[in-house]
Amino acid sequence: MFAFAAPTFIDSLLLKFFSEQTVNYVIWPFIQIGLVVVITTGWVAYATYLERKISAFMQARLGPMRVGPWGLLQPIADGLKLLTKEDFIPENADRWIFFVAPYIAVVAAFIVMAVVPFGPDWAVITDVNIGVLFVLAVSSVGVLALILAGWSSNSKYALLGALRSSAQMVSYEVSMGLAIIGALMFARTLSLSGIVSAQASNSIWFVFYQPIGLVIFLISGIAENNRAPFDLPEAESELVAGFHTEYSGFRWSLFFMAEYAAMVVVTAVATTLYLGGWYFPLVYRFTEAKGFHHAYVVISLIVFLAKAGLLLYLYFWLRWTLPRFRYDQLMDLGWKWLLPAALINIVVTAIGITVIQGLHNPAGLRTIKSLSAGLGLTLTGTVIAIAIGVANLFITGGLLSLINWRARDFNLKKQRRQIRLVDLPKGKPAVVPVSPESAT
Amino acid sequence: MPLVPVPKPTFSQKLKRFFMVDLLKGMAVTLGFNVGALTDKDGVAGKGIYTEQYPKVRPDVAPRFHGAPRLNMDPETHETLCIACNLCALACPEDCIDVIPMDVEVVVAGKARRKKVLDEFIFDTSRCMFCALCQEACPTYCLELTQDFELATYSRAGFVWNREMLEQGRETVKYES
Repeated sequence: MFAFAAPTFIDSLLLKFFSEQTVNYVIWPFIQIGLVVVITTGWVAYATYLERKISAFMQARLGPMRVGPWGLLQPIADGLKLLTKEDFIPENADRWIFFVAPYIAVVAAFIVMAVVPFGPDWAVITDVNIGVLFVLAVSSVGVLALILAGWSSNSKYALLGALRSSAQMVSYEVSMGLAIIGALMFARTLSLSGIVSAQASNSIWFVFYQPIGLVIFLISGIAENNRAPFDLPEAESELVAGFHTEYSGFRWSLFFMAEYAAMVVVTAVATTLYLGGWYFPLVYRFTEAKGFHHAYVVISLIVFLAKAGLLLYLYFWLRWTLPRFRYDQLMDLGWKWLLPAALINIVVTAIGITVIQGLHNPAGLRTIKSLSAGLGLTLTGTVIAIAIGVANLFITGGLLSLINWRARDFNLKKQRRQIRLVDLPKGKPAVVPVSPESAT
Repeated sequence: MPLVPVPKPTFSQKLKRFFMVDLLKGMAVTLGFNVGALTDKDGVAGKGIYTEQYPKVRPDVAPRFHGAPRLNMDPETHETLCIACNLCALACPEDCIDVIPMDVEVVVAGKARRKKVLDEFIFDTSRCMFCALCQEACPTYCLELTQDFELATYSRAGFVWNREMLEQGRETVKYES
């Protein structure tokens, strides 16, 4: 399982001091864990920097510019500031829970990184064969941290924020978990590395089979991370800062890190499931096939980071484009639109795969190549699967509009049965003409 | 105007709603600004960045902007151009200028004469409204309102500029860009 072919010079150096088992099962995992923690923390820190920069660019501003060239050291300065700030505890707070909650949030967000395949070979820490379940299970522990933080703060704003965010996260987790299933049907495994290799060996990204799955997964992911436009738990205008209103200093920064780490987790999982993970066409042929093994791993790692970075940019982009939802709209979107869409996606994908399997023998067509790594489809099978995926968009859209035919809550215009039309000739400025009699 | 039922969306409107055209339009706007900020540096003309990096990059003030006062000197002899005529003090609507002259004995064409020369010049910038009427009144182009705008000090007394400050200018921290 831990088949490491790590950089050989460090390996041989370590083998002089430790036995082979120790090196393979203890030392290397620790090195990998350390690297991943450091890289993820750096990624999280610079995600805040990127967020500030991108938001500034979208508003014709410059963003942080003072600390270091182009403000590149700003995250470090922020971290130092937060470390030295007072750690304030409210008078009647439940002290133990108040202390523990931020750690739960951070651990829940960071521990998922253990199973994310960043690259092909030594860039995987562990390949758990129920990786997807592990990700979903562990990342939903984050809700507990929010509830504990909101409850223990002894503040109405924190409690309301925690209530909102827990309700939101629980309801969006359902559609998030269901959205994945479509991709899993093609991957035929729950291991994240297995899902990537299923895509790599068939030279396709699952987003082509599952466009609607990616959309549902991303929307639910954004909602589960309590990010705009679903940032009701931290709605500044109503709730001060939501569940972490009473937190300050380092504990607050832990929540902040947890939020960004959860974002990174969702982007990483979405990349793995739908965008092919570290797989990119032609990389294998030009590196691994010619014997450059470590170059292959490093390039795959960069590919993975680039894909996840693109999705992260989508997060920022949506945040600075869309206004916040109302709470009832949020619940509507979750339960009336995303959940049925995920269910329809599962049904249509299952039917599609059955059709592909049925076409394999009797019609004389060859649709399935192999079942060794995922659902290996031939060209015909791939075309059919992509066609079903695209058709699924329209099927889902039609069925959703059928389901929500009478639902008027989501649309304010439909709630109003009648409107007062202002009858003005077209092409004229919208000014009511003043007659000379009424003017005097 | 009468109340009428909400008009039914036309087919093209439904199509637009299905493909979320308005959402994509909004995202195109923000993306346009983001790309513009990275490529187009001139914020006034296009979608670039408007921000001025103030202490590092000084803003361009308008040509008719009036700021800190200055007493000009003869560029060759470095003597003041002020002839202590008091016209600026008379022109000042805020009464914030005090010209304090002194008499000196000079010999003009072999005869001993007395002459008024400038001893001290007090300019209260806290009361000044930068109308530049003093600059208009000055017959020798000595008093001038420059384009410096950093006039803040830590005390009220700091607003009162004496002759030395008016001739040398105030020291402000300069940042390299």
